[in-house]
Amino acid sequence: MLYLGPAVLVMAAACLYPVVVAFQLAGYDWALGTPWDSARWVGAQNFVSAFTNPRMWSSLLTTLLFAAVCVSAEMVLGIALALALEHPVRGMAFFRTLFILPMMIAPIAVGLAWRYMFDAQFGLINAVLKAVGLSPQTWLADPTLAFIAIVVADIWQWTPFVFIMMIAALAGIDGSVIEAARIDGARWWQQTMRVKLPMVMHVIAITLMMRLIDAFRVLEVVYVLTFGGPGDSTEILSLHIYKTAFIGQQLGVAAAVSVLLLVVVAALSWGALRLSNPMKGEPP
Amino acid sequence: MNRRDFTKASSITVFGAGLPFSGAQAQNRYAKYAGKTVVVSVPAHPHYDAMQKLLPDFTKETGIKVEIDKIAIGRMKDKQLLEMAKPSGDYDLGCYIVMWKSEYVSKNLIHPLEPFFANPALADPAYDMKDIVPIYLENLGLVGGPKGYLAGPGAKLYGLPYGAETSVLAYRRDIFAKHNLKPPENYDEFGKLLRILKDKEGIGALTSRGQAGHQVVHAWLLHLNPLGGSVFDDQWKARFNDKAGVDALKFLQEVVATGPAGIAGYGQGEANTAFLQGQAAMYLDSTSFAGVVNDPSRSKVVGNVSWALHPKGTRRASQSGGLGLAIPKNAKNPEAGFLLMQWLTSKAQDKAVTMAGGAPMRNSTLRDVDAVRKYPEFITFVEALKYSNPDWRPIIPVWDKINIQALGVGLSEALTGKKTAEQALNDLVPQVTAIMRESGYKV
Repeated sequence: MLYLGPAVLVMAAACLYPVVVAFQLAGYDWALGTPWDSARWVGAQNFVSAFTNPRMWSSLLTTLLFAAVCVSAEMVLGIALALALEHPVRGMAFFRTLFILPMMIAPIAVGLAWRYMFDAQFGLINAVLKAVGLSPQTWLADPTLAFIAIVVADIWQWTPFVFIMMIAALAGIDGSVIEAARIDGARWWQQTMRVKLPMVMHVIAITLMMRLIDAFRVLEVVYVLTFGGPGDSTEILSLHIYKTAFIGQQLGVAAAVSVLLLVVVAALSWGALRLSNPMKGEPP
Repeated sequence: MNRRDFTKASSITVFGAGLPFSGAQAQNRYAKYAGKTVVVSVPAHPHYDAMQKLLPDFTKETGIKVEIDKIAIGRMKDKQLLEMAKPSGDYDLGCYIVMWKSEYVSKNLIHPLEPFFANPALADPAYDMKDIVPIYLENLGLVGGPKGYLAGPGAKLYGLPYGAETSVLAYRRDIFAKHNLKPPENYDEFGKLLRILKDKEGIGALTSRGQAGHQVVHAWLLHLNPLGGSVFDDQWKARFNDKAGVDALKFLQEVVATGPAGIAGYGQGEANTAFLQGQAAMYLDSTSFAGVVNDPSRSKVVGNVSWALHPKGTRRASQSGGLGLAIPKNAKNPEAGFLLMQWLTSKAQDKAVTMAGGAPMRNSTLRDVDAVRKYPEFITFVEALKYSNPDWRPIIPVWDKINIQALGVGLSEALTGKKTAEQALNDLVPQVTAIMRESGYKV
């Protein structure tokens, strides 16, 4: 305890302080650019304002759909890529580097790059569609297509994260276990589904949790790509919070929505950890 | 001239005339601040790119160093609010969009300029306030008058225009000549031209902004004012869903239908690019666009563009807006910040920034022989300024919220076909009214 104490205190201060402040802020009516002294205590009023706003609920639904589609696709693609590249093949170092590049790019730059690629007039995507004989689309001007655009950008950027986590986990599997399965007659598919993936399930759970948390916090790419539009079709919750805080100047209401976001993410993370919790079952 | 116009003109003239003579000649107003550094918050914007080219001369002349904090225009307000809320901020001078002026003043974040101009140790006696385009000075600088943002009793100067603009119509004279067309004089002709150009030329007729948020509202306001509409009536009651509002939105829907593909997702950059790359025959936007049209590195239409007045609807009207400069209350070097602002907005430097690709804010520059030779479109711009309406949008402290969170979403839904023009505007009335009530307006 003596050794752990300082670290626990630092962690508690760093992690809990912002959460406590968010809860405190949710009880005040305060606009950015005004002194804190002018903030007015309004109790639960901000929660009432936030939760009676239909835009907040439509934003939550958009976020849930966005997170479900993105995280599912990223997990499947990331695991598949890791399985495909786990064995030494010619040029693998190149491919591994190539795959993790998107993750290293600043989200604002990712948003801008995809904004140009989805441009209806001059974008690469429409150029490809034309080249294969399909009609070009107004990607960012149509509610459904704009949603697809933000999903594609997120999958492109974050699949490499799943890939890295999984390739590291797969590298840690004891080769003799796989060898034993192979001798017992297990095919590649059976080795993968019955042996490899169950053995790395704790990494899958943690990766899933981290991606879920990130998918709920994504802001910059959507900000640049669509600014929540057309209409509010791509206004995910973090953008709704941003607009409420910085444009609406309702920091208290924004903090109240942030608390809701925290609850949703905590519930989903708890669900992800129930798959396989690496922190459980450790020897005392 | 009616009574209101007289009051407006008088207040600007009296205020402007008094300032330069309020102090004695300053011997060397810069000496005290030589060696200090002025930190300026500016957007990534062609006018401020041009401004940066002048700064070495300022440092050479005054000994005051300048540090620029350049940021995307959409993110500038967040950072400025955070900076200006601190007891001592990092900015000594800041650029703002016209829509923010009332909010900054209501939050007591920027200095009134009168004490600076009245200080003989700082004010340049040769500074000609009356030469600044009056509509720019009113629109960007004055806060506290009628409606809270117009010239008249109670109005005080809080900023100076720098990157100001009005609306004009850019059109491709080669395409118009090919089809024997004339630039539209009024909205009837304008509406008919959209279809004609689309059908005859096969490219977009008119490019426009359209992205959800400020961009789509900007595009709609461009048609609302000339068609006789406004956002509120004189009692601050929403009236934007009346016939003029619906006509303006229907016109914008037609612009989307006949324009380059994807307007409903266009920010200013995409709208500019469509015209510059030859994908649209017309562009109704601001005078600040003129600089890039003539830049061969960015434009494929150099030499093929002419300019016309904003077409007349039920009235002749041009936009007023753009950017200004103000001094934060928590600036570490407010006096040095003022000296830079005064220098940048002087006659000589206004011409210099214009010749470097910026937007003029002085009558002397707009009529300068060298400037007009380089930018013949200034002749049209001067004419457009006669019709520039300082009440183009209600610049009240909550306008940004109404603009982006309410109108910016509802209008966007009308452009994608999710709602009809009438439905979108009617649905917005309760939202806008609720925001106004929250802000203390009795509506």
